[in-house]
Amino acid sequence: MRGLVQVVILGLLLGGVYALMASGLTLLFGVMRVVNLAHAAFMLVAAYMAFFAFDRLDIDPFVSLPAIMVVMFLGGAALYRLLFPRIEGSPRYGEMTVLMTFGLAFIAEGLMSFFFTGTFRTASPSYATEAFRVGSFFIPTAQLYASGASVVLLVGLWAFLNFTRTGYGVRATMQNRTAAQIVGVDVRRVSTISFGIGMALAGASGALISFLFPFFPARHWQWIAILLSLIVLGGLGSLKGAVIGALILAVASSLVTDYVGSAWSPMTFFLALFLILLVRPQGLFGKEHRI
Amino acid sequence: MVKPQVSGPPELEGPMVEFTEVDPSTDRRGRMVFAAMVLLVLLLIPALQPFVGFYSYMLQLGIVALMWVAMTSSWNILGGYTGYISLGHNLFFGLGGYTAGLLLVHYGLSPFATALLAGVVTMFIGLVAGLITLRTRGPAFIISTIALLLMTSLIMDNWDLVGGSNGMDLPLPDIPLTWLKVPFYYAMLVAAVGAVLLGYRVQHSKLGLALRAIAQDETKAEVAGIDTRRLKVLAFALSAYFPGVVGAIWGYNLTYLRPTIFFIIGVAAQMVLMVVIGGRGTVAGPVIGAALVVALNEIAITQFGSTELNIVVTGVILIVVLLFFPLGIIGTLREKGKLPAVLDWD
Repeated sequence: MRGLVQVVILGLLLGGVYALMASGLTLLFGVMRVVNLAHAAFMLVAAYMAFFAFDRLDIDPFVSLPAIMVVMFLGGAALYRLLFPRIEGSPRYGEMTVLMTFGLAFIAEGLMSFFFTGTFRTASPSYATEAFRVGSFFIPTAQLYASGASVVLLVGLWAFLNFTRTGYGVRATMQNRTAAQIVGVDVRRVSTISFGIGMALAGASGALISFLFPFFPARHWQWIAILLSLIVLGGLGSLKGAVIGALILAVASSLVTDYVGSAWSPMTFFLALFLILLVRPQGLFGKEHRI
Repeated sequence: MVKPQVSGPPELEGPMVEFTEVDPSTDRRGRMVFAAMVLLVLLLIPALQPFVGFYSYMLQLGIVALMWVAMTSSWNILGGYTGYISLGHNLFFGLGGYTAGLLLVHYGLSPFATALLAGVVTMFIGLVAGLITLRTRGPAFIISTIALLLMTSLIMDNWDLVGGSNGMDLPLPDIPLTWLKVPFYYAMLVAAVGAVLLGYRVQHSKLGLALRAIAQDETKAEVAGIDTRRLKVLAFALSAYFPGVVGAIWGYNLTYLRPTIFFIIGVAAQMVLMVVIGGRGTVAGPVIGAALVVALNEIAITQFGSTELNIVVTGVILIVVLLFFPLGIIGTLREKGKLPAVLDWD
């Protein structure tokens, strides 16, 4: 029993980080109907930034995190302006965006492999190997800090969406793009900002990855498959769904790691995906989309 | 013939073409003659043995190109006509290879004989996969194909029967070295021709019409009385057949099976790239795209060596084509009325 509780605690801590990773992905889908297959690749780009900042300049990942977010935000907004307006009117918009981000993922992966090689990397700040005890349970410091940061960022995202004018615009666009445009929302601007925010969230996740998990360029496919499964489970475009899906699946995969073996833990995500497709194809909190 | 105008919007030239079209029956005969000639050349290539110094290399290149033709033509049935992008289709390629490999290692059955059976197996897997993944549309479908691929690769990495991540070594075929590549070449040729014919048949059948209707507007297609669900699953299963067949032949040709060769998403990316370049939803597009990408790849590797930058180029080309020629080579040429009749296989 104590072992079980311990595993669940670790799973929940992990789930916080997964929720942060998935939030950017699902936000982007909600606002622009873009499934960003390059999301995890961009996470790794950020992870390399944090890694090298730590390794070469001795800057703690939590210190470089805000700077990385700013860089990624600007990069994302620029990328959006460069690529997406061109295909916006296309009758096959949905497919096009997926293929386009698929291409972006390969570009990012190839450049990372070329410049940083395929070696496993991980930043090792002092807290990476520490843990403290609460009662009879272990809590790894790095995981705790990381999920703390995730919670702060997710609350920040929530506050932005609910209490700022731009946030209203984003939510309106998520609900109905055309209607939002009619009532005066500058959809292009909202999309640019959302893409930037999605990338900034990927950046923050990457900074956390840099000391939580060993990574190498091609690793991003595994990440993206997990994250996409998770947001389908929660319902594409639903932030609440992404967070709850992340917590459920992180705990489930921790249990699988503990009782079956770590090699099989990604399986949890895939099986959950196929199960939800059979039972409730629109996901836990999803609306039925017509695309 | 319409001359290309330097200035002026190209789309104005479009309608003109209607009037310059050749009588369909002679046009059709011309295309048949062209197809027969291409086939004859492909059939005779192995007879060049006494004349070319790089014989095995040339045949190997042919094997690779034909393999991709078979895969892209199959992918096109689902991704081109139906508009359901599968980013995990190499799953069937790999499973075909592994099926034939297991039959070879454990029962001594030659993959040349079991390739067709491997295709049946992957078609059945495609049917089941289709029944589950096609419950959704658009993005969720694409996601589930990626998940399917990664799930399979996970299983193959950890399954002892198929050698886990080390894969399996296959016994060498009992053929003199000079002629070693010849049976592989012909086997791939049969598979490629079969896949193109299947694509052609689908294109010209009621099924193809229904699939294109689904691609345009699935809801309307459904309202019009098309059993979209059943036909989509059928398209998925059909598109899983030839990847399985060529997977079986390719594994034997390599003499080893590794998850990192068959089950990485890069293979699916190549398929997608080829079809997008050639032109989605056309018969000739996947063939042209496959030939072009294989040739360019070969040039790039011999000139610059194989580096990580190759996949960067893959990504860049994919994006550039999507942005500027979303219809691909065949589609763009046809839209401008400049598609040579010999390439108009639809």
